[in-house]
Amino acid sequence: MADRVDQAESWVLHTRPYRETSLLVDVFSREHGRLSLVARGGRRPQSSLRARLLAFQPLSLSWFGKGAVRTLHAAEWQGGLRDLAGGTLICGFYLNELLLRLLPPEDAHATLFDAYGATLRALVAGETPERCLRRFELVLLEEMGYAEPLHQTAAGAPIEAERRYCWRPETGLVETAGGDEDGSYAGAMLQALTAGDWSHPAVLQGSKLLMRALIAHHLGAGQLHTRQLLIDLNTL
Amino acid sequence: MNATASDLPEPLAALIDGLRALPGVGPKSAARMAFHLLQRDRSGATRLADGLRGALDRLIHCERCNSFSEAPVCGLCASPRRDARQLAVVEMPVDLNRIEETHGYSGLYFVLMGRLSPLDGIGPRELGLERLIRRALDGVTEEVILATNYTVEGEATAHYLGELLKSRGLKVTRIARGVPAGGELEHVDALTLAQALVDRKNY
Ligand SMILES: [Zn+2]
Repeated sequence: MADRVDQAESWVLHTRPYRETSLLVDVFSREHGRLSLVARGGRRPQSSLRARLLAFQPLSLSWFGKGAVRTLHAAEWQGGLRDLAGGTLICGFYLNELLLRLLPPEDAHATLFDAYGATLRALVAGETPERCLRRFELVLLEEMGYAEPLHQTAAGAPIEAERRYCWRPETGLVETAGGDEDGSYAGAMLQALTAGDWSHPAVLQGSKLLMRALIAHHLGAGQLHTRQLLIDLNTL
Repeated sequence: MNATASDLPEPLAALIDGLRALPGVGPKSAARMAFHLLQRDRSGATRLADGLRGALDRLIHCERCNSFSEAPVCGLCASPRRDARQLAVVEMPVDLNRIEETHGYSGLYFVLMGRLSPLDGIGPRELGLERLIRRALDGVTEEVILATNYTVEGEATAHYLGELLKSRGLKVTRIARGVPAGGELEHVDALTLAQALVDRKNY
């Protein structure tokens, strides 16, 4: 990896305090993937970086150094995207948590990067959040090489609209023996999902459960914080 | 600092270890601070020790605003001169102080002592949001002013507080953001200007 990177298209995923006055910034850049940068003095009131390192805003970042600690030295706001507001903010945090948990560091994924930007733009434009999130989850799983073939069963048989299927970790989709088994998915839903047709509410609902199962499997231990936050808010 | 903890006299090792409790202070900084206090500023060290001991022994959280207080209800919350119909929600005590310095607000406060920070695992439970809801539903409060930061975490906090409080019949407002006082557009950063345009108001 180069010692110096200039003006890389990037998104800030998360910032944390680092040492006395600095910030540790997790970024997702189009050409360099996910990495951590140190914004030296980034917590000082007069820091010019401080106000620019906002999540969900398109940025152009420049850094130098290699290894675990790279130093961020310039951040330019690219503009053109309104803030995520209200309930869509938690969708943004969810996308970031997925990337922080699932995307290995320093692995460039331009397709995923573009999908991330498109998802934020769609959320800002007021598109149904569920639809935006499901579409992103699919791209993420595909890009990670985690996407199970959802157009066929583990045995290689095509998915049929009238039948029902279960998804099993390590195996994939298996046709259920008898009707409406718990946690089974309608073949028609799977067909719509792979075709990217989200027009039916049942497709959104079914794919939400399936995506959740797939993501949970790849996350391993540990609940997603963003999901827990929504559960806790609902109890207030 | 190549000396290991075991080479140091026990009280010095304990001091260095204690200073590491400060956010962002690693072993080297902690050792530097300890030597500075002991060698160059012993009266400062005494003030620090007394200040810490006093704060630990005497400070509690005010029942009303959740900020630090010596009494169960702090002076500000107990003052008859404050307008109890307004309640400003801030993240930290320092934010309360900043608003007080403006001399432009006479209502009361609630200090969250943090913000929702989903990626750090700080949710409604960790933040104790139900205490704020109870406080705001005292029957006197009419308007809750959300004065959390304009960061993504502060915005998310404001959004969910707004939803929770509005659904309980309270009027909820949010402090405005935009071009700073005395600000010339030429010198305002682009992001601030873009947000000021989005948040423009009837005139
Ligand atoms: Zn008080």
